[in-house]
Amino acid sequence: MLHYLEEELEKLKEKIIKMGSLVEEQIDFSFKALFDGNLELAQTVINRDDEVDKFDIRIDKHCQRIFALTQPVAFDLRLIMSSLMINSDLERMGDISVNIAERVKVLQDQTELLMKMRVNEMAMKVRKIVKMSIDCFVNGDAELAKNVINFDEEIDNLDRTIFGLLTEEMKLNSELIVPCCHILALVRNIERLSDHSTNIAEDVIFLIDAKMVKHSKDPDNLKPKD
Amino acid sequence: MNEEKISTTNLSLYYGTNQALKNVSIDITEKKITALIGPSGCGKSTFLRTLNRLNDTIDNVRIEGKVRIDGIDIYDKRVDVVSLRRRVGMIFQKSNPFPKSVYENIAYGPRINGITSKKELDVIVESNCIRAAIWDEVKDRLNESATGLSGGQQQRVCIARALAVDPEILLMDEPASALDPISTAKIEELMFDLKKNLTIVIVTHNMQQAARVSDKCAFFLSGEIVEYSKTSSMFTTPEKTETQNYISGRFG
Repeated sequence: MLHYLEEELEKLKEKIIKMGSLVEEQIDFSFKALFDGNLELAQTVINRDDEVDKFDIRIDKHCQRIFALTQPVAFDLRLIMSSLMINSDLERMGDISVNIAERVKVLQDQTELLMKMRVNEMAMKVRKIVKMSIDCFVNGDAELAKNVINFDEEIDNLDRTIFGLLTEEMKLNSELIVPCCHILALVRNIERLSDHSTNIAEDVIFLIDAKMVKHSKDPDNLKPKD
Repeated sequence: MNEEKISTTNLSLYYGTNQALKNVSIDITEKKITALIGPSGCGKSTFLRTLNRLNDTIDNVRIEGKVRIDGIDIYDKRVDVVSLRRRVGMIFQKSNPFPKSVYENIAYGPRINGITSKKELDVIVESNCIRAAIWDEVKDRLNESATGLSGGQQQRVCIARALAVDPEILLMDEPASALDPISTAKIEELMFDLKKNLTIVIVTHNMQQAARVSDKCAFFLSGEIVEYSKTSSMFTTPEKTETQNYISGRFG
């Protein structure tokens, strides 16, 4: 039984890592398509979402099977619970990359405006936080997870700045209201990617430190080590 | 309510020169179920048997330290062992009904405690069969031999027999390990009902059973308590690596 459980947990972890790579790639492609105005790449992202959804179901079924057959406890239980939660966040992140890809067409000729509104800067930061969150799961690194949660604040601040830039631009150039509205929705999507990364980081802290930090207002829980 | 019913302090037990328990100190809460878990030979059954002095009957046993029930040292010379065992009932792994009728099994304890009235004994038999969730199955078979019942029924008759002398504590040494899942579930449900009035200490090798039924859990290893905590904590966030390894089946 033990050998079986350990094998299954290892396989589950591998699946989460594969799902993480797939979703990370979807996000990278959606950003590349957006900033290059590449409709073909955007379509690739949209088409590959099925693959993400199938992976999501495979992971859910795998977790269900381990629960039913092994009645896991302690760390094993937390690994399966956190895998389920992380899988759900990754699947949503996959959907968001599709949402971004779907906006490529309407923003195809707005590369300059995207730069001016600092969306590329936001995208770079979000790529970084997504990678950090997946890395902290792969390496079981609760300290890196705390850094992810703190980094999310920086992204939230930039989100607010971009909101200000967009409203200002719309006031000054009424002909840009439509693309600015699209960018507003786009930035909301990008910011959600950061929130999901934070959720993953919280799940890693739950897995490693056995602490539930989600919804936590206690800064001590999240204070990174020096 | 929820005060300590049993308390051991630096309890050590030796079988000859072999030390089976090493300075075990534990407070067991009243009207709760405490599970003792650990690999074979870790001392959990030995510990259980110290709580109603069943080890007294074994040659070469030496006990050090204290076992207190309601604050009274049960190894004090003035303690009457028969009276102690009336207060502290025991259920064993293998059901062990007397080769007598169901009725006589349950009436046996009250009878040797001086109750002779048939009417009174009838009430005791019925009420304790109900408490042990066996009444519906034996009410028409009270005069049949208890040994003719199924394993699960025999075990519940033994529980009814233990309850008939109105104990305060029930010690259970793997009470369901020889039973099928349905009979096991009945015993577990029964334990939930009984803990309203009784303090229960159960030894089990079944981790899921310990997780399901107990309020607190003590993990024994090599005669010592490695970890003692709320069951919900032990099975989600055990403090010691040895506990994590044992409850997840990595050794033992």
